[in-house]
Amino acid sequence: MTEKKKNTKKKDQARIFKRYDDLFNCSRCGTCMSFCPVYKNTNDEGLSPRGKLSLIEAISQEKLRFTDKVSDKIYTCTMCNYCDSECPSGVNIKELFQEMRQDLVDTEKYPLALDFLKKRLDEAKNVTFDTNEGRIDWTRQIPDSQPDDFLKDKADVIYFVGCVSSFSPRTFSIPRSIVQVFREAGVDFGLLGDEEWCCGFPLLSSGMKAEAKKLADHNIREVKKRGAKVLVTSCPSCYHTWKHEYGEISSEKMDFEIMHVSQYMLKLIQDGLLKLKQFQKRVAYHDPCDLGRNSEVYDEPRKVIKSIPGVEFVELEANMNLANCCGGGGNLESIDPGLSARIAESRAREILDADVDILVSACQQCERTLAAALKKLKKETKRKIKVYDIAELVLASIRAD
Amino acid sequence: MKTKELDALKQIAGEENVIISEEERYCYSYDSTRLEYMPDAVVKASTVEQISNIFKFASSEKIPVTPRGSATGLSGGCLALRGGIILLMVGMDKILDVNPVDLLIDVEAGIITQKVDMEAQKYGLFYPPDPGTVKTSTIGGNIAENAGGLRGLKYGVTRDYVNALEAVLPNGDIVNFGTRTVKGVTGYNMVDLMTGSEGTLAVITKATLSLLPIPPARASLLALFNTIDDAAKTVRDIVAEGVITSTLEILDQVTINAIEDYLGLGLDRNIGAMLLIEVDGQQGAVDAEAGIVMKVCNYNNALSCKKAASAEERDEIWAARRAALSSLARVKPSTILEDATIPRSRIVDMVQEVNRIAEKYGLRIGTFGHAGDGNIHPTILTDLRDAEEEKKVEGAIEDIFRAAVEMGGTLSGEHGIGISKAKYLRMEISRESYEIMKRVKQAFDPDNILNPGKMFTDL
Repeated sequence: MTEKKKNTKKKDQARIFKRYDDLFNCSRCGTCMSFCPVYKNTNDEGLSPRGKLSLIEAISQEKLRFTDKVSDKIYTCTMCNYCDSECPSGVNIKELFQEMRQDLVDTEKYPLALDFLKKRLDEAKNVTFDTNEGRIDWTRQIPDSQPDDFLKDKADVIYFVGCVSSFSPRTFSIPRSIVQVFREAGVDFGLLGDEEWCCGFPLLSSGMKAEAKKLADHNIREVKKRGAKVLVTSCPSCYHTWKHEYGEISSEKMDFEIMHVSQYMLKLIQDGLLKLKQFQKRVAYHDPCDLGRNSEVYDEPRKVIKSIPGVEFVELEANMNLANCCGGGGNLESIDPGLSARIAESRAREILDADVDILVSACQQCERTLAAALKKLKKETKRKIKVYDIAELVLASIRAD
Repeated sequence: MKTKELDALKQIAGEENVIISEEERYCYSYDSTRLEYMPDAVVKASTVEQISNIFKFASSEKIPVTPRGSATGLSGGCLALRGGIILLMVGMDKILDVNPVDLLIDVEAGIITQKVDMEAQKYGLFYPPDPGTVKTSTIGGNIAENAGGLRGLKYGVTRDYVNALEAVLPNGDIVNFGTRTVKGVTGYNMVDLMTGSEGTLAVITKATLSLLPIPPARASLLALFNTIDDAAKTVRDIVAEGVITSTLEILDQVTINAIEDYLGLGLDRNIGAMLLIEVDGQQGAVDAEAGIVMKVCNYNNALSCKKAASAEERDEIWAARRAALSSLARVKPSTILEDATIPRSRIVDMVQEVNRIAEKYGLRIGTFGHAGDGNIHPTILTDLRDAEEEKKVEGAIEDIFRAAVEMGGTLSGEHGIGISKAKYLRMEISRESYEIMKRVKQAFDPDNILNPGKMFTDL
């Protein structure tokens, strides 16, 4: 993360110069530091929200310049937004960080890794090393179906799989579970296949709004083309971007509903379209930041879990808007994987305290980071907790003996 | 600091522990006062021996050293007023031992205060001092500033829970003060001298703290009053009736209105004052005390007095108090939280005086705080970027201090003198008292390298 682009053209009017009023609202009380997963795992003031805001304020007052070191600090963030929601002075931290990132992009002071990301999205329309044709390779192992079955000209529901679940084999079981649940319920649904482009979340959160707009416009057009009434996502970041960002960045009108798969599955359960069988387990739920705190979807995943007969639902001590991040948020994993893993471990310890059989999340990223952390802690604690995505849990209950 | 000195410092403290880049040093230049003083270097403290070596070096080179915890202080205690080294204590954050029989916990100074309490809870014990920053601030900082909190009336302040300390003197000597016993009169009471010394005498590295058993029962009450006068009389009468509540918080009308603006809890905006009261102990005692409190509230014309029947109701009662500072902070860009403290008997006089001062300077001041121990927080809502406003605020603060001292109170109940109140110190302390304090400082720190410029304006 030390390597940066060398060109350093300076923008005359950085956005942040106009935000002094907001920055000055920070009283530097330090409350944010008790919530920030990055600060708590580093003890580095410059990585705390207060530290970042102070750096931004110093830049806005021209006490400091846009430098690589500042950039390193600003981008070392899981974007869990816990700081923003708990700030006593009501400082709009999320927005200020966002503007600062845009300024760092404009002054070409962003991490080199983001350049790679931008190029990938421009060329291949996804965040991985694969070509976009591979978008539905994960469907191959679904019984009684061919990949093409999922590509329809018209469908009531479009399932937007998201880059990670589409391409990362470790998370394939999430979309596989979802399509099987949808089939059980008889949902008329389709996938966008290679016309599914990255939702744009990594670009938006890095400060590259213009690049994200192209992706948003395309995705909306593709969904409309298929006459869908509902767009379902399984990735909370995709959900957040569709639900709360697209309206702002895209000029395309959206005449369909946007739902997270937890919300859609609850609807299926309430409509009596899914037969859930006995599943005797103690289950806790981890709120993904982009679904919970950042999109305020708290109830539906809980209701889905509680509607499974036999499940004993356990609330984690830090839950809903007070849930701690899994460490996999933002682009932190690509910027500082060690730190990301340490944050995951902190959350995993809280989960161990709840003494459950299964931890359910509703995010492929949370599932991955927490499963890895719990596995690592197994040696030390001798305790085994399985990590399920909410769709995997529902499917397990449908398939239970 | 010169390059040569920085190189030497890296040798002594470990290269990975020394921060010198401008951007990173800037992040250690401020605290909650919003004042800024750039240090020349930031050193992450790792062991007591390392700290000792840093001091041996700093005292031979006459380089200022300022200890820093989480920097949530409100008087500038951890700022590098004269540059030099910031000694960052947050990395030394281990729990060393808990002894539930002796009711003691041993910790390193950089541990977050709440973590001490959480550890104690595992044994059915608790650590009573609960400053507003309990989730963020460190024990070392709490001891250095003798932090208070909501439970002062019944449980006292940080001072009452520090049994023993390990500290490093400015010449590098490692010292141990205090005992692990309830009683102990061997030599001077150096623990009490260290507690509240604001990091000017020694750097605290370890602490042995007292714990108490968690009271089995508690009750929370909310009482509303037409006038602040009635509320203050209630505070007085509760104590007079022999009830020492664990918390006794007051919110004035300006604060109530700010909370209503922010949260919309449905509070009556015409209410003159609100009291939040908690009693704890054995169930029978709690019931009896809650009954007395309710009787006293009603006797003093309370509009209503409600006892929480459930945990949810208790949370509702405390929601307003918890939101007090946040709500006030949202009114204007700058929030100046003062802590001039008066004897309990003068609360009404003080609140009235604060209102008069607010009117005199045309400022908005909300007052809330720990009525039970006379430690109230007149909170000035302003914009310090405006030079005119700043002047008014300075005038108001000076008037508040003067009023507090005249009422037999003190400049600071829990925030400390540091930089912010140094120029007012003589308002309260006689020349002779000031001089002997200075000589204590000089005895510990003859070269004046430890946190120089704090408390004493002429050192």
